[in-house]
Amino acid sequence: MPDSDVLISLHDVTKAYKTPAGDFWALKGVDIEVAPGEFVGILGKSGAGKTTLVNLLTGVDHCTGGEIEVDGVAVHRLKENQAAKWRARNLGVIFQSFQLMPSLSLLDNVTLPMDFAGLYRPIRSAERALELLRAVEIDEHAFKLPSDISGGQQQRVAIARALANDPPIIVADEPTGRLDSSTAETIFAIFETLVQQGKTIFMVSHDPGFVRRYSRVIWLADGLVTDEPQFDVK
Amino acid sequence: MRSFQFTRSLWRPRWHKVTADLWGNKVRSFLVISSIAVGLFAVGLITSMYVLNGEDMEAGYSSVNPASIQVFTSLYEEDVLTHIRHVEGVRQVQGEYIFSLRVRRSGGEWKPIDIHAIPSIEQMDINRVHLEKGVWPPRDKEIVVDSYKLPELPVGVGGLLELELPSSRTRSLRLVGAINDQTIGSTGGGGFFLAPAQGYITLETLDWLELPNNQMNVIFVTVDRSPNDYAYLREVGNRVSDAVEQSGVTVYSTAIRAANDHPNRVYVDAISAVLFVLGFLVMFLSGFLITNTLSALLNQQVHQIGVMKTIGGRRGQIMGIYMVQIFIFGLLAFSIAMPLSSQVSYSLLGYFSQAVNTQQQGFRVVPVSVVLQLVVALIVPQVAAFIPILHGTRISAVEAMSGYSQSNPPNPKGWINQRLHDVRGLSRPLLLSLRNTFRRRGRLFLTLFTLTLGGAIFIGTFNVERSLSSYIERIGRYFMADVNLTFKQYYRIEEIESAIKEIPGVRQVEGWTAASGELMLPDGSVGETTRLLAPPSQSELVSPILLEGRWLGPADADSNVITVNERFRETYPNLKPGDIIQVKIAGRERDLQVVGFFRLAGKSSGYLAYGTYEYLSRVIHQPNRANTFRVRSEQPRLNLQEQQAMGRQIETHLEALGYQLADVEAGESLTATTADGLNILTIFLLIMALLIAVVGSIGLMGTMSLNVMERTREIGILRAIGASDRAVMELVLVEGALIGLMSWVFGVLLAFPISSLMSNAINLALFGAAADFTFTPTGVFLWLGVVSVLSVLASVGPARNATRLTIREVLAYE
Ligand SMILES: Nc1ncnc2c1ncn2[C@@H]1O[C@H](COP(=O)(O)OP(=O)(O)O)[C@@H](O)[C@H]1O
Ligand SMILES: [Mg+2]
Repeated sequence: MPDSDVLISLHDVTKAYKTPAGDFWALKGVDIEVAPGEFVGILGKSGAGKTTLVNLLTGVDHCTGGEIEVDGVAVHRLKENQAAKWRARNLGVIFQSFQLMPSLSLLDNVTLPMDFAGLYRPIRSAERALELLRAVEIDEHAFKLPSDISGGQQQRVAIARALANDPPIIVADEPTGRLDSSTAETIFAIFETLVQQGKTIFMVSHDPGFVRRYSRVIWLADGLVTDEPQFDVK
Repeated sequence: MRSFQFTRSLWRPRWHKVTADLWGNKVRSFLVISSIAVGLFAVGLITSMYVLNGEDMEAGYSSVNPASIQVFTSLYEEDVLTHIRHVEGVRQVQGEYIFSLRVRRSGGEWKPIDIHAIPSIEQMDINRVHLEKGVWPPRDKEIVVDSYKLPELPVGVGGLLELELPSSRTRSLRLVGAINDQTIGSTGGGGFFLAPAQGYITLETLDWLELPNNQMNVIFVTVDRSPNDYAYLREVGNRVSDAVEQSGVTVYSTAIRAANDHPNRVYVDAISAVLFVLGFLVMFLSGFLITNTLSALLNQQVHQIGVMKTIGGRRGQIMGIYMVQIFIFGLLAFSIAMPLSSQVSYSLLGYFSQAVNTQQQGFRVVPVSVVLQLVVALIVPQVAAFIPILHGTRISAVEAMSGYSQSNPPNPKGWINQRLHDVRGLSRPLLLSLRNTFRRRGRLFLTLFTLTLGGAIFIGTFNVERSLSSYIERIGRYFMADVNLTFKQYYRIEEIESAIKEIPGVRQVEGWTAASGELMLPDGSVGETTRLLAPPSQSELVSPILLEGRWLGPADADSNVITVNERFRETYPNLKPGDIIQVKIAGRERDLQVVGFFRLAGKSSGYLAYGTYEYLSRVIHQPNRANTFRVRSEQPRLNLQEQQAMGRQIETHLEALGYQLADVEAGESLTATTADGLNILTIFLLIMALLIAVVGSIGLMGTMSLNVMERTREIGILRAIGASDRAVMELVLVEGALIGLMSWVFGVLLAFPISSLMSNAINLALFGAAADFTFTPTGVFLWLGVVSVLSVLASVGPARNATRLTIREVLAYE
């Protein structure tokens, strides 16, 4: 039975990668719990295991040991296709390098997850996508291709895409890592708005800039959660 | 505009991705579609040609209602035909008077022409002709000729043709038309290519040529049923011969031929055999080409597949996208390849049907070919893409996006990498590009295999062509005399020999004799007619290709021994050297002992046997006399022009002395005519080699370019760490050239089995036996050129493109 105060729970999560030199333990036993409505920042240096953590949480990769539960679903037990189906409705994912479909218009990029999830009729999807693009102030470019707009604009579209099926949780892997500081600021502000609207956000980053603005910060170093801040907090 | 775009978006975006990918990267779409299309084109071309080739020959030939039985007789009158009409099994009968005159050719020299004088020519229903130019039928004092020999005549349609009569007077007939007569060569003898020009006139015109106009000497018969059943034809043929002889007319020879057995069928069959082998190989080739192209395409999509999975796409949904995309690629390729292959195969066959005297039927699309192309267009790409799609959608999203493979980590200690390290003195970038080449072993294998197969087919075609050509050269040694003279009557050998030897430069004169004989079958019935050539027993002017037994020598001078060509095996499948056969020569049956088998121009050569002059001249009651003479010059190896000049000199000299010559032929041109049919095949093979080179080139350019495109990101990284454009370019070129070279080596090796496969196919059709293996460097080096240019061209374009992108663009790529 899930605790009503816990939306996301990771328990003793480990991950080993096979390498020619033997197993490499990227996560060595991570415990994290997140309540609904939190804006959690997982911070750590490059190589700490942040992306690995995101991949396990979103179900695109399997952990070597431990348990991951999201809203009562045992994510670590989901098969590929079940995971994809589950993600489509419950989780919006945002990447450092935007990862938009290069041949699709921005509008189509946003409707694509709705198409996969099958929650909305095509006409409704398009309307909704346009609304989401409007919310991130990019609707005037709706019919352009990703290559026609800047990186900051692309990340706005990626956020709109993550919101496509109105998931309660947004997972972001260094969404501001590729952006200049003022653009990063506007993107971060969007996330803050989303939290106000009731979304739960799980964001990993190695950017010390926004440390104070998360509702909670968890430090990660060498595959373990630590109390020790990994960099100076401004 | 906006609202239109919005409506367009109402379509499910996942299908939108299909069209967007197609339009979005036009160069890539073009490469993929053209690679598939050339594969389809090759399959379509070869299957269409295979089917049309056979159909044209059979349907074309039976549509002229060819005579099933031909009886050559002494002169007879109309009433004999009425008698034959009532013979059991006979459906139609037609009489003709066929005789030989001489016609003046463009060069001024006189050449034999066979004239067919046909009663009630407008109603002629057996051996129908097809009008190509001018009018048919001819009226009084007009003549129509077969179009194949038209170019040799001094006048075109509308001109006056000069003929030399038996009395040596000349008469002119107006040439009013050119026709296609598919039955030329149907009587056996030398076959189509050795047959003289043919002319067609009415019986009335015979008056003008000083010949009686109420007599004929050939009877054409068609049968009431089973026109393709040789046993039945022979049965009816024997009844007809008997009936003719009962009417008091002498039968000189008979020939039977099935209604689907075009005289040049062997060549058509040989072409079919090659097409069959090629078709089989090309199916494989295009399968690989398509697989290669699509896996290159899908490799570029692996990353996007990962992203789609992360945002909630299920495997089935994602596979659907690519299957539809590939379906559209296949359909587009099909819509280009199908009409094109139909058109090209029809035109190519048009050329060959002229060369082998078949009648091409109207333009048509071959259903089998269309279905095959459709299958290859729609199913092969799905099958080919299935593995990459499965792989792409199976690997986890992490792997797809990171490029890391967890299941298959890069192995720096791999065999090839180790070997590469062992090679000293390789520069760093070179080492890198070598390692690149071997990194994706699956892809490397596919590209290599496709290139190798294409190369092997190309090289193989050249080898087959070479083996045919060298065979043609070899045939020349049956005709080692420089000049061959045929007289209108028999002359004493000593007399002609001393007359010719008055001309300076003549080394040797041989008098030969010739006869035709009917093969008497063991059951007592009459079989095919054979030509008997009889050089003096000590003659050195024939160097035969012996298959079995021995050739004739001085010891055989007066004995009844003969050597026979490959055709005899059809009538006598179990004949061995030493066996006796019965042949009816000059009205009497003779026992002849077969001492050897030789090979000439294949099954189409007709029945030909060599005996000794000494024996045959007695059999035909012309001892010490001959009507054909072979002359050799004192200088060895005269070329065609020199032989012709010598021929003219001899002709002038002999005619001045009053001798009646029928024909003067240079040795070289006799070889050439004998080999005409084989030559057509060599041209055909060269055209096929060319086509395969083109198909291979387009297809491989496509896949290799896709390979380099896939590297765009890698190239960006290299440039980011300081590689100059030149260094990048070098890297890509070295890799392209390396793949090209490796495939060349493998191609040369694979060419051995493929060549012998094709050679055997063609030789079985032509000679009924397997081929001698020939390997020529021509194809090998041409292909080296093709493949080098190809791999460089295919790599340079995309590499150039990649170096032009800024580093930021490249790293953001996909
Ligand atoms: N597929 C993989 N195979 C082997 N090692 C990996 C793989 N993915 C990540 N790693 C290693 O695991 C560690 C953690 O990586 P990652 O989770 O990407 O860190 P972060 O995102 O914090 O920079 C790194 O040392 C990285 O080299
Ligand atoms: Mg990371």
